[in-house]
Amino acid sequence: MRTVLRLIARGVGDMALHPLAHTLGLAAVTLAVFLGGVFLMALTTVDAEFRVSRGETVWQVYWRPGTPLEQVRPQWDEVRRMPWLTRAETWTPDDALAALAKRLGGADALPSGGVNPLPPTALLVFSPREVDAGRWARETQSFLKNLPGVERVTSTPLKDEFGRMWRGVSAFVVWPSVAFLTLVLALVSASSVRLTLEHRRDEIEILKLVGARNWYIRLPLLVGGAMLGLVGGGAALALLHLVYRFVGPFFAVPPLLMELHFPPPEQAVLLVAVPVLMGLTGGWMAVRDRN
Amino acid sequence: MLDIRHLSHNYGSHWALKDCSFTLEKGGFLFLSGPSGAGKTTLLRLLHGALPLQRGQAQVAGFDLARLRSRDLPALRRHVSVVFQDFRILPARTAFANIALPLEVRGLDARASGRRVRAVARALGLEHRLDTPAGELSGGEQQRVAVARAIVVNPQVLLADEPTGNLDPDLSLRLMDVFMQFNAYGTTVVLATHNPELIRRNPAARLIHLDDGMITHANWPGARLSCRADACDLLEGP
Repeated sequence: MRTVLRLIARGVGDMALHPLAHTLGLAAVTLAVFLGGVFLMALTTVDAEFRVSRGETVWQVYWRPGTPLEQVRPQWDEVRRMPWLTRAETWTPDDALAALAKRLGGADALPSGGVNPLPPTALLVFSPREVDAGRWARETQSFLKNLPGVERVTSTPLKDEFGRMWRGVSAFVVWPSVAFLTLVLALVSASSVRLTLEHRRDEIEILKLVGARNWYIRLPLLVGGAMLGLVGGGAALALLHLVYRFVGPFFAVPPLLMELHFPPPEQAVLLVAVPVLMGLTGGWMAVRDRN
Repeated sequence: MLDIRHLSHNYGSHWALKDCSFTLEKGGFLFLSGPSGAGKTTLLRLLHGALPLQRGQAQVAGFDLARLRSRDLPALRRHVSVVFQDFRILPARTAFANIALPLEVRGLDARASGRRVRAVARALGLEHRLDTPAGELSGGEQQRVAVARAIVVNPQVLLADEPTGNLDPDLSLRLMDVFMQFNAYGTTVVLATHNPELIRRNPAARLIHLDDGMITHANWPGARLSCRADACDLLEGP
């Protein structure tokens, strides 16, 4: 056990023996993973943008006739603060009656006197950008319906063919792209780690000459390779997070108005796991059987 | 300790070793002489398993090289140490770490390992250079580090390929004395050289002269001169 721990420590310590080779190897792994991360971030952002609904939907809210305007007006103010609202028009019963009379040919067209039978109403136009448009519609319906005094809520369906189409095909686009990227990342990382370990070929040969068994030679190389992958992957992820933090706001202003999305956790883990795995593979492959 | 029978080895169409046979008892001292390209290095590489056996048989320190599997190589090399002309040391590690490497591989604890390293370093005049990175040592010192690494484990067999090739005459003879001293303690030594001074230093040693891959001269009956007819047969192809 002591030997194993010593060999693991040596694997870490040996990185300092060839600083230039390790720095270059680390830079190569970091850059490859970073570029992979940028691609994933772009893919995630595009996917999220395509997944949100982009259509317009119109809602009409009718209060019960005779509902006091003192009760309705604060609700209109509240409704105007709802997310994704692009336009709101409200009518008091009198406004509604005037508008109706105007449409029918003037004030004389309607009988004067008596009680105004029209209710307070609101016409709300939304352009929601939600991933789950159905859920948003249900929640909006519920919110409006539960406003005190509201009698009826009607809405037009959301027209969002492109969003629906993308949601249908995204599974066939995103994961194959991630798989392809993983393959590219694996090849680049493995190549970088192997080139770095190439500097230690003499050491491997000498260890074999003095009777070291393969596991004894391999363990520090495995640890060194894994460390290279871990540090490279971790640094790339940190770099990617900086880009996300500091570049993201530039996407959120017109004309782009896009929200930059950091790759989801499973993809972020992949960005570190792939170089670590390739580091281990590179370390394993560095020791050949015969000689 | 060494029992070599009809050993031949080719690199493509070139036969580097042709029908070599000899035996060397435990504690023996054998010089391999001959010009460059005579087959000395090939023979030494075969004896420590760096090259697979193609033809013939070889028993080294109780290991049958013809039947040796790659996973048995470390066991062979724990009994057979090698010194090369080009040192094969780790320049970034200290002289101490280089010499201690085979002891570390064998799992010896640091204290015992340190004692043995310092004893061998003293014998080779390296005790004041132990903490220096091997890459910063002179050629002669690097060669002595390589020798120290080979002998620190008290191997049954010590193979040395032109170990004094980079040393001045005085240092070469001192190193030769070290080999003879270890040989006196029972280590079998096979030393390839074309330095006649070294051979004269140990007149009691066995001597094999190789030329064009064949044993053309031996100074004791345990060696059989390569049969020219057998060697010629090899030229017809493996």
